[in-house]
Amino acid sequence: MALSEENFAKIQEALVDALGVDDDEVTPEATLVGDLGAESIDFLDIVFRLEKAFGIKIDRGELWPEDILTNVKFVEDGKLNAEGLAELKTRMSFADLSKFEQNPAIQEFGNMLTVQDMANFVDGKMAQA
Amino acid sequence: MRWFWIDRFVEFESGRSATSIKNVALAEEHLHDHFPGYPVMPNSLIVEGLAQTGGMLAAEYHDFKERVILAKISKMTFHGPALPGDQLTYHAEMDDISADGAVTSVTCHIGDRLQAEGQIFFAHVADQVTGKSLFEPGQMIHMMRLLKLYEVGRKPDGSAIMPPAEMT
Amino acid sequence: MRFSLIDRIVDLQPGKTITAVKCVSLAEEYLQDHFPRFPVLPGVMMLEAMTQASAWLIRAGEDFAHSMVTLQEARNVKYSDFVAPGSMLTVTADLMKQDERYCSLKTKGTIDGRTAVSARLTVQRFNLAETQPDMACADEIVVQEMKKLYTTLRPASVAS
Repeated sequence: MALSEENFAKIQEALVDALGVDDDEVTPEATLVGDLGAESIDFLDIVFRLEKAFGIKIDRGELWPEDILTNVKFVEDGKLNAEGLAELKTRMSFADLSKFEQNPAIQEFGNMLTVQDMANFVDGKMAQA
Repeated sequence: MRWFWIDRFVEFESGRSATSIKNVALAEEHLHDHFPGYPVMPNSLIVEGLAQTGGMLAAEYHDFKERVILAKISKMTFHGPALPGDQLTYHAEMDDISADGAVTSVTCHIGDRLQAEGQIFFAHVADQVTGKSLFEPGQMIHMMRLLKLYEVGRKPDGSAIMPPAEMT
Repeated sequence: MRFSLIDRIVDLQPGKTITAVKCVSLAEEYLQDHFPRFPVLPGVMMLEAMTQASAWLIRAGEDFAHSMVTLQEARNVKYSDFVAPGSMLTVTADLMKQDERYCSLKTKGTIDGRTAVSARLTVQRFNLAETQPDMACADEIVVQEMKKLYTTLRPASVAS
């Protein structure tokens, strides 16, 4: 399902305001953490702006699954185990996790989530609403 | 220098909004360094007053059970100076509050003049990071009493806000 | 308490960048309130340290041409770590752009290389006499005092 231009522009605006980056940095392939410099507290800001822009309800854990990434049940040697990956896939069904699956190192997680994943997420939420 | 950047609450609606006042006085030592020859209230300390107003609004909502700390100022704009003799009126509106933290829109007025406006994010911080409490038993509630929170504080249904039973 | 949130200027390249340090000591009075059981440097004091570092970069770069150098806007001020007594916060400010009145800077505070705070600041500079001619004497006093404080913060031995 393609996200409309208008909705993508709203997501861009939310990310520009929350992260203090320029419009042209917010491309679909840009990673939120790696390219745009988002940190944990920024996800609270992003969630708030998306909720306002789209009239949806979001749990911060859906975009920043800290509880999965820090759960001893799911993490072995700094990587997510099979159980953890399954949990992550359920929580973040909107995201393309294929690259992360090849090397599910916790510290690499930040480099995974892209603006396009965010757009898919919003799309999914709007369809549920 | 003690760390009290609001003098009193004048309005407090649980979970919704709060208004407080701060009087700027020549007796305040730091004004004579900022700047020597022309005292003007540092804008960072105005941010603290706004953060204390919004932060206490966020903390009261959870009966002071969560440790609420300043996490992010997405934007804060200043439109003019605050000088000795000015009374600053700080207002915080709760935009959103969740298990993770809170977002408030804040303004500072001097009379009718808008002096500052912005948005502040607070986060709830875990026990393991700071310990169970930031304050000694009873200290927080005593401070709220001094700030007249229980005199002006109201819940949305109009009833008075009472100190949490286990903290009195 | 003296309201200097910078203890020493370590490096200054006029028009470009400044590096300064703020040491946090349990002797700082306000820590007893912030917080009684968990003393840490208040977030707005980190903001003030970044503002003051930016102000020194501007003052030194224009030979103290303006008395008033104040924070006009703060954006994306993010706090990522607590700064406890005994720590040294290294504050840096990079000048991104400026016009006659406003300067935009990227600032941050680090402890042992880890970022504790970052912000984009707009600082304004002006003289009181521009709008209040009889305050020219106040401008002079402020500038003289700021020049004196600068020599304390940046001893001649490290000045380049």
